[in-house]
Amino acid sequence: MATATQQRGTQARRAHASRPGGGALPVDTVARAALAAIAFGALIVIGIWWKNTLGIVGTDQWLTNAGRITGLLAGYAAPVLLLLMARIPLLEREIGSDRLARWHAMGGRYMVGLVTAHVLSVIWGYSMTDHTNVVGEGVTMVLTFPDMVKAAIGTVLLFATGIFSARAARRKLSYDTWYYLHLATYLAIALGFEHQLTNGADLGSGIGRLFWYALYVGTAGVLGWFRLLRPYLQDRRHQLRVAEVRPEGAGTVSLFLTGRYLDELGAEAGQFFRLQFLAPGLRFAANPYSLSAPPTAEYLRFTIKDLGGHSAAVAHLKPGTKVRAEGPYGAFTARRRRSRQVLLLAAGVGITPLRALFETLPARPGELTLLYRASREEDVLFHRELVAIAQSRGARLQFLVGPRSEVGDPLEPSTLNRLVPGLARHDVFLCGPDPMMESAVAALTAAGVPRRNIHHESFSF
Amino acid sequence: MRRAIVTTTATAAGVVLLLSLKPHGSASAAGAPVISSGSGSSSGTAASTGGQPNGTASSPATGSSSGSAGSTGSTAPTAGSSGSSASGAKSGTFTGQAADTRYGPVQVQLVVSGGKISNVNVLQYPNESQRDININSYALPTLNQEVLSQQNAQIDMVSGATYTSNGYLQSLQSALDSAGIK
Repeated sequence: MATATQQRGTQARRAHASRPGGGALPVDTVARAALAAIAFGALIVIGIWWKNTLGIVGTDQWLTNAGRITGLLAGYAAPVLLLLMARIPLLEREIGSDRLARWHAMGGRYMVGLVTAHVLSVIWGYSMTDHTNVVGEGVTMVLTFPDMVKAAIGTVLLFATGIFSARAARRKLSYDTWYYLHLATYLAIALGFEHQLTNGADLGSGIGRLFWYALYVGTAGVLGWFRLLRPYLQDRRHQLRVAEVRPEGAGTVSLFLTGRYLDELGAEAGQFFRLQFLAPGLRFAANPYSLSAPPTAEYLRFTIKDLGGHSAAVAHLKPGTKVRAEGPYGAFTARRRRSRQVLLLAAGVGITPLRALFETLPARPGELTLLYRASREEDVLFHRELVAIAQSRGARLQFLVGPRSEVGDPLEPSTLNRLVPGLARHDVFLCGPDPMMESAVAALTAAGVPRRNIHHESFSF
Repeated sequence: MRRAIVTTTATAAGVVLLLSLKPHGSASAAGAPVISSGSGSSSGTAASTGGQPNGTASSPATGSSSGSAGSTGSTAPTAGSSGSSASGAKSGTFTGQAADTRYGPVQVQLVVSGGKISNVNVLQYPNESQRDININSYALPTLNQEVLSQQNAQIDMVSGATYTSNGYLQSLQSALDSAGIK
């Protein structure tokens, strides 16, 4: 469940998770359908409980049944959360990896809450029925009920992951440690599966059992295909290798990958791949990096800024190193576009996906504008390339380099309006560091750009 | 944080609402259906009782025969049984003493033909709470099947249903005794 990384090459694409209305991106059909399907499944789960429950007599039954409902919902949430992270191409393309990761993270916290409620209320309810103390009842349940030892281990694993994944704790962990802890949740879910069938009054037989098996086996199949088998087959077919590592200045390198049948990948400008380098120390982490040039049949180019860890080691990769690539992913492409006129707004290393879009986004002369904000001259990437593209396409290119006092704050509605005439009629593709993204969205909205015409992809979780 | 509070509150409210929509009267008023090993039928009222009047779970838990009154059995060698012992091997319906457990009585009834147990009915079992029903709806069929395959009281307890299993074993033993099966 590698939702995102802390060391991504396109850190600039992050937006703050607690931004009000974190899911305020334009809600499109697939996203709505997915949410409706999830809600419908939850209703079925509630329906199964409803059908199997005659009546509720006494406090103990209130508690026990609350435990059953929360337990059923948690058991339903687990495969759903995995499916969100299954890298299903339709969801990746239409909803976007960032939103999926955000849903997954929110849902994950919710599921930990459900499991907590389930454990506490079931033990409490049972102990009231049995007239025993809560601790003794808990021990009895774990030791004597079928499959409960496994379930207890799974629960502990789940809580451990929950604690380590909490935002504060995660900052103190290396990405890799966090990643492997997260993998443990697969184990936790597998361990917790059987006790649902053997102890659950609702899943022992009939439609409930059928539904549960379909859900879990189906999820395992989807995960196995999209996360294991398909990447494996893709690797075998394309055999990606590092062709060149080219310094771009200011601790930034461009990475050229070659391979076979690259056109079959179907990658688009603005998308990213999760790259795993088969080199010492990098072998196990797959980090997302954006394409910094439109993909060609000969090579894929990624541009990566050294922010320590994975991204720092990339600079020392030797040509010929094998690369495992998952992707392409991401909905930050020309498909998002709604208007004729387009503004690309980049800050810092956030230029990478916009550099690719600047070259390929269909536009007639005069319809495309790139604003590129950098605080220092040496932070400007692709200067020559950008100028060449602007000239050949008849696109407008404006560098905003230097401290704010000199160039003005590009994230002020007035500045934006002055720089981009008719701004409100533009689609805006936005990429930069967290604070920049937040204030840019606010400024653009204030300048009259409809929220649904502002596109960005963030990797917060 | 605000979202967490809203979500938690909404979930709790939803659960309480669901729970409160269910009836809260005594669930056992109607009596629980007999759990029978026979051909998946759990209605039990007409289940192969060989001239036995309906053994309902509402019968008194005194362990007295529920079959003696109105029994059509030709002989009534022991309490709670109706059967014949033609050619040495007994046939008929034998009802064990109800065994009290912490959660309520368990009473087992055996249908015997030619000295073989052909069917097991559980006339009474704990069913006051949903949890009892949940447990016993899997434990009792399991125990019944074990009796049919073992043909004696040497059966395994069902984990998670210890009390029911104990009561079942007691009542089973008394039914076996009256049927003369060792």
